[in-house]
Parts: sequence; structure tokens; C-alpha cells
Amino acid sequence: MAQPFPYTYYACDCYDSNNTTSSKRASQILAAAEEEDRTFDPRSPRSNYSLYPLEHLLYCEDCQQIRCPRCVLEETLNWYCPSCLFEVPSSVVKSDGNRCTRNCYNCPICTSPMTVNSLDTSNDNGPPYILACPYCHWSTVEIGIEFEKHTGISSQLARIANGGKPIPTQKERDKERERRKELGSRKRDGRDVLSHSEDSPSTDTERDDPPPSHDDVFSNLGAFYKAQIEAQTPSNPFSPHDITFSSPSAYNRIMNLYSNTSSKRNKRQKPAPMREAASLIEGLTVHNPSADAAAIERIKKEGWAATLSPAQKLTQINPNIRFESDLRPIATLLCTKRSKRCRSCRHILSKPESKITSTRYKIKLLALNHIPRLSIRALPSTATMPPPPSSSTQQPQFNYNALNSGIPTHFLLHLSNPLFDPIRVTLATPSTTPGKVQSRVTILCPQFEVGANTDVWDDALSSSLSPIKRGSIINADGQIEAGKIWDRGRNWTSVVIEVVPGFLKPVAGFGQQVDGADGEEELGEDEDVLEIPVFVRIEFEADVNAEERGLGDARGSKGERERREEAFWTVVGVGKIAGM
Amino acid sequence: MSSLGGERKVSASLSRSIRGTTPRLADLASTPESPRTPLLRSTSSLFGSPGGSFRTEDEYVVLEIGSRFVRGGFPGESTPRCTLSFGLEEQRRMGDYRQWDPEYGHKRRKRKRGEEWGQDYELYRLDLAQVDLGLVEDKFERAMREAYNKYFLLDTKPRRILLALPPKMPHSLMSTILDVLFGSFQAPSIMLMSSPVLSTVAAGLRSALVVDIGWAETLVTAVSEYREVHERRTTRAAKLLSEEMAKLLNAALANDVEDGSPKADVSFEEADEVLTRVGWCKSKPKSNRNTLYFPARTSPILEEFEDAVESPEPSVTIPFTRNTPPTEITVPFASLAKPAETSLFAPGTALNEFDDDELPLHHLIYRALLSLPMDVRRLCMSRIIITGGVSALPGLKTRILAEVEALVQQKGWDPVRSYGSASARHEQVLRQQREIFELRRQEGEDKVSESLDPDAPLPAGLQDPEEDAIDAKLAHLALRNGAPPSCSIGGTIRGVETLGAWAGASLVAQQRIRGIVEIERERYLQHGLQGANREKEVSVVPQRQSMGPGVVRGAGERASWTLGVWA
Ligand SMILES: [Zn+2]
Ligand SMILES: [Zn+2]
Ligand SMILES: [Zn+2]
Ligand SMILES: [Zn+2]
Repeated sequence: MAQPFPYTYYACDCYDSNNTTSSKRASQILAAAEEEDRTFDPRSPRSNYSLYPLEHLLYCEDCQQIRCPRCVLEETLNWYCPSCLFEVPSSVVKSDGNRCTRNCYNCPICTSPMTVNSLDTSNDNGPPYILACPYCHWSTVEIGIEFEKHTGISSQLARIANGGKPIPTQKERDKERERRKELGSRKRDGRDVLSHSEDSPSTDTERDDPPPSHDDVFSNLGAFYKAQIEAQTPSNPFSPHDITFSSPSAYNRIMNLYSNTSSKRNKRQKPAPMREAASLIEGLTVHNPSADAAAIERIKKEGWAATLSPAQKLTQINPNIRFESDLRPIATLLCTKRSKRCRSCRHILSKPESKITSTRYKIKLLALNHIPRLSIRALPSTATMPPPPSSSTQQPQFNYNALNSGIPTHFLLHLSNPLFDPIRVTLATPSTTPGKVQSRVTILCPQFEVGANTDVWDDALSSSLSPIKRGSIINADGQIEAGKIWDRGRNWTSVVIEVVPGFLKPVAGFGQQVDGADGEEELGEDEDVLEIPVFVRIEFEADVNAEERGLGDARGSKGERERREEAFWTVVGVGKIAGM
Repeated sequence: MSSLGGERKVSASLSRSIRGTTPRLADLASTPESPRTPLLRSTSSLFGSPGGSFRTEDEYVVLEIGSRFVRGGFPGESTPRCTLSFGLEEQRRMGDYRQWDPEYGHKRRKRKRGEEWGQDYELYRLDLAQVDLGLVEDKFERAMREAYNKYFLLDTKPRRILLALPPKMPHSLMSTILDVLFGSFQAPSIMLMSSPVLSTVAAGLRSALVVDIGWAETLVTAVSEYREVHERRTTRAAKLLSEEMAKLLNAALANDVEDGSPKADVSFEEADEVLTRVGWCKSKPKSNRNTLYFPARTSPILEEFEDAVESPEPSVTIPFTRNTPPTEITVPFASLAKPAETSLFAPGTALNEFDDDELPLHHLIYRALLSLPMDVRRLCMSRIIITGGVSALPGLKTRILAEVEALVQQKGWDPVRSYGSASARHEQVLRQQREIFELRRQEGEDKVSESLDPDAPLPAGLQDPEEDAIDAKLAHLALRNGAPPSCSIGGTIRGVETLGAWAGASLVAQQRIRGIVEIERERYLQHGLQGANREKEVSVVPQRQSMGPGVVRGAGERASWTLGVWA
């Protein structure tokens, strides 16, 4: 699918073998038993999660099994910015988050990397600076943000809100909150507590302010809960963890302890029951219909172009926005280098070199060094017929994107062996492909041998392999004879598979049921793709501990051989069936 | 009726009415004094959030799971590090790069045969008969792998998980999710908290009526002192809404094409994008328009466009780049409010024509309020939290609140409805009278009730003597305890904004508050969900501080665990 035809996917069956709960186990065992003789269905939505190109798979030599991204455990080795290739220490990742804190930003419209440009027209590239997208030309000018320096963009941006207003730091937020609280309580104390005009402390002072930002509210809520919890648990003020004077609450508590001049409602005497937030500075936001009305007006006036697509919103740090003017440049996400371990035996399967710029691996146990590679390609149509007199004429390219329904077509299944031992191969496939469009499939020679992956030198030296005469498997009627391989080389063998592509629309009398409603329906995405599940079983004899050959100690294992067997499902994508 | 006044009595009266049949130990959970839990260490970061983080040994990852999204991030941060969806592109095979193909980007995606609207975009659905749990596991596992590898970027230290889940999630679905988190992501323990409670926390409240307009259903949950006390649902939610939008767009596109060409069938993405970009909702209920502004109006057709008398009629041009050929259509702005109107409020249908699971939102909310005990209702009606993806639709919150207000005005909280028989009604009146008398006697010169009268007189339907009395009582108590009077607001319809369940979970984890349901890895791996205590809630006595029965703060191992609301 979406890979160029033809292609092969390999299935890792870990998804039904590494489950955890007992509740599930029983049902899974039943399901597995049932599945025993069921073929792999590449149309099932689950198959998308277990099929991988061979290059994506690792191999655990201890478990003697394929390992897919799902059955490995990953460990982060280091963090770096993919844009500036700066390595970020883990402590910084922890404190500053998962994004580059230098000058690396992506465009919030098109995600291209942005550049720092000068708005200075006098040619010396002086301030002010902006972040601009070289691809779609969006820039921070559109959200009213300019920078004084061309370096340290992150720290500058963190302090400027869209439109140019400063964003308060955490400390400033806390201070402002305290100031307002103070103001509120003074006002309250100045009046009769039960007077008519009594209002929540916030409302008069905050009525004219713009609505608080998401971060403001969150910060207010956090402070409110912290204060509530602390008010409820007046612990020993000298408790060792709690004495830091930087914490305002601890400070207040100590002040209370030494001066008993505190307010008439002394909270410390008996913990007040926890209560809800009472005002904006405590994080309470009462629904305000005017915000709704303003948004509606704005959509009406500015239309589609002023609004954001779901994808654009989701890439924002704060996705709860609606308009283009709310966008922020997106700091580049850091990447990691990770090692991979086998989930069941914990052996390391892959480990990259730690240098950021290196793409090499210290360890990488690829499945393609352990698992035969299966591939499919069209058999040149001439081959099934007597060879044409002049071989010089160019054959037209086989069109994998237009297979002909109902016409038997021959393909070659090519199997190459990466192992140092010869293997016996058994292939199996369902006689008709699963799915709505049923194609008939026959492997003409399902059992065969493939030579060992000996050195090329050995190959050259031993000429024992006699080339197969292709003519010999085509019988007198020009038919390909079953049970014979097509061709063979040093460590590969190819066999013929006959495919009769199915019909996209049901044809009466061709095996498919034409039942009214169903027959009328259009085909879904990829239903015209011809994919064949092929079960591959290999058997071979290998040296015991063959994997440890590299360790140099071959004592005792010399000459000792063991029989081994591996089996797995593959899916070969043959092509697309042409409509008629 | 016992005497009133004193903080203990109030909480007792609240919990008595909430508790229902079985008394729960958790009702007593307000044990104040305890050894201090370790200090909150303050951190500064780009995400600049207040407070602190956990000790290193119990660092948390905060996850929220919904039927179409997973959000994940860290405690104390105001927004999640990632919000992952389950679209078609998320479900492709490895090595399938077609989404990057520019040509493919312009193709409209077809719905698979036999699949419901948007089914491909769901992580799960509650109707288990239609769920392949294996596929749920596949999808969830892939999304979590993306979250951990691309966004969390953690070191190798295992992280505990605070998991926000919808209440009443079926156990097999929970097992599937827990399997992945314990199995593939090695979580040492997972704390479960229910989304409505967390939405309440993220609104700064302790009690609220949480209206979560989700994908397949809208869930109304009454939360009292951090505990779910009542729940109602309706299928009027995002799915219906986006289907209505698709119908509207298909009709508009049909006008656009020449005869003979195939009928347009917009995809889920297209409908969803139009809805989130330019969809809206009229904020005034029709009943108000009729009775208050246009009492003499008779023509129903004109009335539809009552607010749209501007000329030229405002319109919006919507591009359809995935149409063949790409096109754009211009639709009247007013029409973009219709899908919300029909799908969520169903104005043209009589109430008795609805099944129980398809009540319009305002009726659902009204009924939920009606079935609450009086004192809880009083608090909840002034703390209506509207959340969920669709709640961001401009005008919707205002509209829902106005509709509920109109219903209350029209119907009040007529006890006859809730008590049924005439004799019960008489008893009720008598009881009320005694309560009021008792209250007046106790509070004498305080005159609290007057001081708390809202500026505008209450509409007749809202003037409920019993609730006035409780208002006064609670307000007075609150004042005595030093709580600002706004903490006791009640009896009127009021909406309160929430930062959402994820932010609530982030706050809870930041303050080191523990939930009732905490599952240790080893126990889960041995017994699965069956290992949970049969009791709905275990004793919270050995636990330390608490913010209320639903959430408990403190450290220490638990001898047994329970599934709480999910039991
Ligand atoms: Zn696997
Ligand atoms: Zn960078
Ligand atoms: Zn751009
Ligand atoms: Zn292994």
C-alpha cells in the first residue's frame, strides 16, 4: 500500500503473545487456538499494526524471533535538536521541556523551519528582528512580535505575548496575585463583612481587564490549591523540608508564629475547611457570554481564512485557540537517540553511536540478516511462451497498477537466504485472497531449497550449481509444470506463482455472489490492491551456539548441529487491479 | 429535622443526601492533622507553571483518555505535551508514506463500507459489541509509543501514571488500556481519576454539574464534594453534530455541481474542519425570542433568521481542496449554526418523542438537576461546567445556559413533579416551613439571607423558599469560616469555565493529591482488574489529608485497592 508495487511486508506476531492480564489470557488462548489454521488477513484493520517492511525489523538471537517496534523496550541515550544538532543534557530536558531553547522554530502555518530576519532597512541587519518562514512567508510580524536581539529567541519569545505585551514570569504572577489578594482583603476589612455591597474581592478591580490567559488561570488555580492544602495542614513550621524562605507560605507561617498581630480572622487556630475558588485570582472563571459573541462576530467578519485548521491547532503548545492571530511559532521538538532491547529477554538489539552527528550503530541486529527475503515480480510474459526469435526487442514494462481481472498472470516469488546454512522452505497461501475482491492464487512449487549465503568467493570456486534450463519447466503445451522451481542462484531460489486477479465489480457466474445492495457499493480505499498473504516456514541445521561464533570459543560446539525452524507470515503486494 | 449550623452539620447534611443507600467510610475523610508530606519543590521551566513537582521517586505522567483523543504530559504544566488523535493516517502501516504524497493530499477519503460516521477516528466506543479490543490495544499502544518517544522524551526511570478516564468505562476496555500502560510502558502504578471530577478541580470548584459534550454522547455528571452523585447521558453530541454538518455541506455542494456528475459526499475530516473553524451556535434560545422579543410573531420561517436580518446576508466561503475538482462554496453564515441547533437542541420535536438516550442537552441538564437532592442542586445549578471538544463551538455554552435558565423559569423545581403524590407534597410544605422557622430562630439578628440576595430579584420560577433558606444557612457558615461569600453562591443558573480534565489531572498530580483508585503494577499483572477490592471504596482512614472523599492527599502504601466509580 502506497509503496511502489511490488512489495513485501513481514508480520510480527508479538501483539497476541505478550499480553499481560490473566483476564485476557484465557480468551486469547481460545482465539489463538481458533486462529491456528486461519490465514493472515492483510485487510483486517489490525494487520496495519503488525506488518512491517523487513528493513524495520530487528532480530533477537537469544529468542530467535523477529522483533518489531512493539516488542522492544526503548531507552533514551541522549537528546538533541534535529535542527541545530545541539545535544541537550537530560537535566535541561527535565527543566526546560522537550523543545529546543535556542533559535529553532517551526512555522505554525506550514511547519517549515523558520529563520531569524532583521527588519532593519539600513543594511546592517540591526534590530528589530523577526522569525519568518522562508516557505510560506508567515512571520511573527503577523502576531505583533519583534525581537531586540537575534539570539536567545526562546527567552525573548517566552516573555512577549501576541501583540507585544509582556508575559509575566511565574514570580511576577505570584507577586501580582498576592497584591490583589492583599487589596481584596483590605477592602473587605474596611467594610462591614456582611454589608450589602459586599462582592467577591476580585470583581471590581478585574472587570475591565482582558480575560485571563489559559496559563494565568492555571497558575492561579495551582496557587489556590497549594494555599488551601497548606492552610489545612499547619505542620510544624520547623519541619526540615519546609523551612525554605523562598516559599511565601512558609514565610507567612513563620511571621504568624512570632507576631500575634495578625488579622482578626486568624486562620491558623483551627484549619478552615477547604473551600472552592472564589475569584479570578484563585482561578475561578465565570462563563462570560460576551466572549462567545465576540468569537461569532469575528468569524462572521473575517471568515474561513482567519481560522485555524485542526492540524494547526494541535501543533501549538496551547491548542485551545481559534484564530490565526493566536498562533505562536513552534519551538522545534527535540529528538532522541535510543537503544532497543528485546522485551522478553532484555538483550540489546540496537544501540546507536552516541555522537549526535553519527548515523552509525554500535549494535544493530537486523532481521534481514536472519530472515530470508521474499520478493515478488512479474514473470516476463515471453518466458511462458517459446522464446521469441529476436530477443533484442524491448519488452514493454509490466504495469503493476493495472492487473487484468480474470486473466491468469504469472509472477516469480524470489527467496534469498542470508544465513550461512542452506534452508528448506515451505510456502503456503490461501487459494483465494481474503477481502471483497477475491483473487485466486497458486504457488506452483511450494517446497524448495535455498543455498547457503556463503562467501562470494566460495560461490566462484564451487561451480557445482548447474543453471536450470528454464525451458525444462515449461511442458509441451507451453504450461508451467507444477513442482519445479523456476531458477536458482548461490543463495536464492525463485518459484512461479499463478494469480488470477479478481473482479472489482461482481460478475455473475464467477464465483462471487451478486447480492443487490452489497454489489452496488463502491470499493473502499485500497480494496483494488491485490495483496497475497504468504506463510513462510524455513527449516535448517545450524551450529549450536552459532550466534556466539564471534566470541571465538568454539570448543565443544564443533560439529554439533541442531535443527532449527522459523515460521512467519508475509504479505506480498502484487499490484492494483484495473477497473473494467 | 435536626438543628442546623456548625460546619460538621453541614457536611453531614450534604453527605447524607448524597450518599444514597450505602453509607461510606469515605464520607468521614476530612481528617485534618497529619505528618507533613515532603515539600513541593519549585521548578522553573519554559512551561512556567507554579508550585513544584514530585519527589523524583514518584514522578508522574499525566494522561487523559477520551474516545477520540489521548492527551499526555507532566504534572504542573498547564497544557499537555501532546494531544494525539486516531485518524486514518495514524492507522497506516509502517513504511506507508502516502500521506506525504501531494497528490494523495488532494484526494477525498472514503468511508469504509458498513462503518458509522467517524468510526475510523475513534479509539474505542462504549458499545462493546462493536469494539475489537485488539484493535483498541493496537491503536492505543501506537499512540502511547508516539507520546513517549516523540513528546515525553523521558529517561529510563519508570514513571507512575495519573490516568483521567470517563466514569463507567467498561472493565474490558479498562483492562486493555491498563495492559498497554503496565506492559509496554512499564508504569509502576496507575492512579485513576474520573474526568468529571478533574474538570471540577480545573474549574476551582468542589461541586459542579459537569456537562461533557463528548464524541458519541454527552455525559452530565453531578459532582458534589469531588464525588459523582448523579449521571445522565444522551447521544446528542459531537458525532451527530458533525454528521449534520456533513449533510449541510453535501447539500451545498450538490447545488454547486452540474447535473450528471457524481454527488458529493464530504469526508469526516472535511466536515470536522468546517465545524471547528466556522461552525457556531445561536446563543439565544428560541423560546426567549418568541416570548420576550417577538411575542406576536407567527411566521415560523421568518423566525429562523430572526437575528440574521443584516443585509447583505453575511456568508462564509469554504474551500474544498479534496473535492474533484477542487472547489469552494459560499454558504450563508446563519446556516452554519443550524447543525448545532438540530443536533443538540432539536427544537422542532416534542419532548415526548425522544427516547431516553436522545434528550436534547438542556432537557438532560434540567432533569439531572431536578433529580438531585435540594442542597446539592442548589450548588450544582450555579456551577455548570460545560466541557468536551464541542463545547468550544462559539455560542454553545451561552446557549445551553440560556436554555436551561428558560426551562427552569418555565417549570421551576415543582416538588409535585419530584414527589409525585399529593400527600407527599403536603408533607413537603410542612417540612419546609419547619426548616425555615428553625433557621430564623437560630440565626436571629444575623440577617444573612438579605445580604445574599442577588441584585436582581429572582424570577418567579426560581423563588423557592426552601432553597432560600439553605442559601442563607450555607452563606452564613461560609462567612464564619472565612470563606468569601461567592463560595456559597447557589440557586441561580451560572456557568463556570474549566481548563478541562487534563489540566485538572495536572493540578492534582502537582499538589500530590492521591485518588481513591490506585493500581500497583505487580498486583495488576497477577490478578488483573479482578484483584480489586469488591467494596466500592476502601477506608480512607489510613490515608492522610484529603480534599474531600474523592481525592485524598498523602503518601503511604495501601493494603488493598478498589475500582471506585469504575467498580
Ligand atoms: Zn513484535
Ligand atoms: Zn535547535
Ligand atoms: Zn510557513
Ligand atoms: Zn530476546
